[in-house]
Amino acid sequence: MSNTTVGGVYEHIIQEVINAVRVDFEENGVDDGVLEELKKGWQHKLSQLNVAQFPWDPKPEPPPPAPPVQASAPPPAPAQQPQQQPPSNYAQATLSPQASAQPVSLPGGSHPNGNGVAIKPDPGMLKNDPVIKQEPGLANAQGPAGHSVYNNTANPGRGMAAQRAAQALESQYGPRAAASINAIHMGSQLNTAHQPQQGQRLGQAPQQINQQQMSQQQMNQQQMSQQQMNHQYRQGVMQQRPQPQQGPHPGTSNGLPAAQVDGSSDGFEGILMQRGPDGRPVEMGRVEIDSIIHAQIAARAKQMEGGGLMLPLKEATRHRGTASKKSGTGNPSQVDGPDDDFKDEDLDDDAINSDLDDPDDDKDDDEDDDDSMGHMMLCMYDKVQRVKNKWKCTLKDGVLTVNGREYVFHKATGEYEW
Amino acid sequence: MATSGTNFYDLYRHGSLGVTLTDALDDLISAERIDPQLAIKVLTQFDRIVAESLQDRVKARLTFKGSLDTYRFCDEVWTFLIKNVTFKMDNGQNSVHADKVKIVSCSAKRTDEK
Repeated sequence: MSNTTVGGVYEHIIQEVINAVRVDFEENGVDDGVLEELKKGWQHKLSQLNVAQFPWDPKPEPPPPAPPVQASAPPPAPAQQPQQQPPSNYAQATLSPQASAQPVSLPGGSHPNGNGVAIKPDPGMLKNDPVIKQEPGLANAQGPAGHSVYNNTANPGRGMAAQRAAQALESQYGPRAAASINAIHMGSQLNTAHQPQQGQRLGQAPQQINQQQMSQQQMNQQQMSQQQMNHQYRQGVMQQRPQPQQGPHPGTSNGLPAAQVDGSSDGFEGILMQRGPDGRPVEMGRVEIDSIIHAQIAARAKQMEGGGLMLPLKEATRHRGTASKKSGTGNPSQVDGPDDDFKDEDLDDDAINSDLDDPDDDKDDDEDDDDSMGHMMLCMYDKVQRVKNKWKCTLKDGVLTVNGREYVFHKATGEYEW
Repeated sequence: MATSGTNFYDLYRHGSLGVTLTDALDDLISAERIDPQLAIKVLTQFDRIVAESLQDRVKARLTFKGSLDTYRFCDEVWTFLIKNVTFKMDNGQNSVHADKVKIVSCSAKRTDEK
């Protein structure tokens, strides 16, 4: 063990990390410059600690190694190092093919597959991915992460429900249904969450239409119906494309079941922002798809973090907020809200093995004897034995900070008496 | 704790390398250059890469002796507080003495098994 090797090892680690997260940065639309900034900031801070001599210290910046073009194609790398495949690559491989085809620079070509560059979609991930392209209902159902885009996905769901109902009417009753179609439209544009559903229900049996609404709209209908039908047809085409799985609820069944599911479970928050001011579901097709993709990414991110264990405060509070908002409406979803939360916590409990929680606590505990902070060894243990008051332990893969210097070791043995 | 989905401890985040990375990420987050989620991804990658690098690229050996002040074993994590420690490098050419060293150590088996 010597202090001189530390610099090289640390530089290697930095380079590896930077390379490994490059795809994540790209995915998040973060500029490459920021990544470079991160690297420099990291190195700078490390230099300030002055725990070792770092290769980048004498020269301002270690020249980035020549980027060998590897992993130029999405096909999975040989599975010889399955553990080293970074869990983050799946998303890139599947979500943005053009990004995965881009060469990634590697530090020294010695680790062709271990660098986290080779794209090997995890088997578990693959089967989930197609969901992205599908309907928002699925995205919502997939777990707590769905809530992060709750508002976005909920709304298109309603819009489409209305669309479907309108289309069904149109196909069944032709021009006669114009009144109900109008009712649906008016309902979804003017009224609060419950009314569009009413509108759809009314649409199911047009002769039962609320007389008031009828008379209100009677005048407009004549001119509008033709134009609206065209409009809706276009909308229908656009809306249907992103949700091929809606097949089971064809228009002839009035779209009622699907419409109701969407409406009752999702409709509450959505209306506020998109439907009201905008009123044009046409644009939602795109927005909706975007938000679904976003939901997917967010869900993946959360999966990777252990089911929301390390959820940023913002997300966590948003989740709570959604739940409480729901309960405010006094719906069955009231039950769902808190339930989700509990499930979340349960998940967290399972996810944590809490092994490393303790060091955290310990550190807090021991922080009163402050000087121990500067002298710390972080490592793995192979064996810890004790005979009476004599201890022997075998440690490995450690980092030792002592007297302001840092050391790394592959293996260490310690003997001490209590 | 091993972050689920990966099999690596975030133990090393408490070392100088991890602390400085966290600092640098914090800077970027507070400047709103990156998303906190992205920072978490970076740290997850860091956990993995540090563990692998220490395993693969470091050959050095070390022995140390001292008197054990406190020991603790909880949730598969050993914590030792050792006083008057002398670290000896494998080649014996230099040794380092410290009044007090805290050792935090996770089970090496876990990462292999799970």
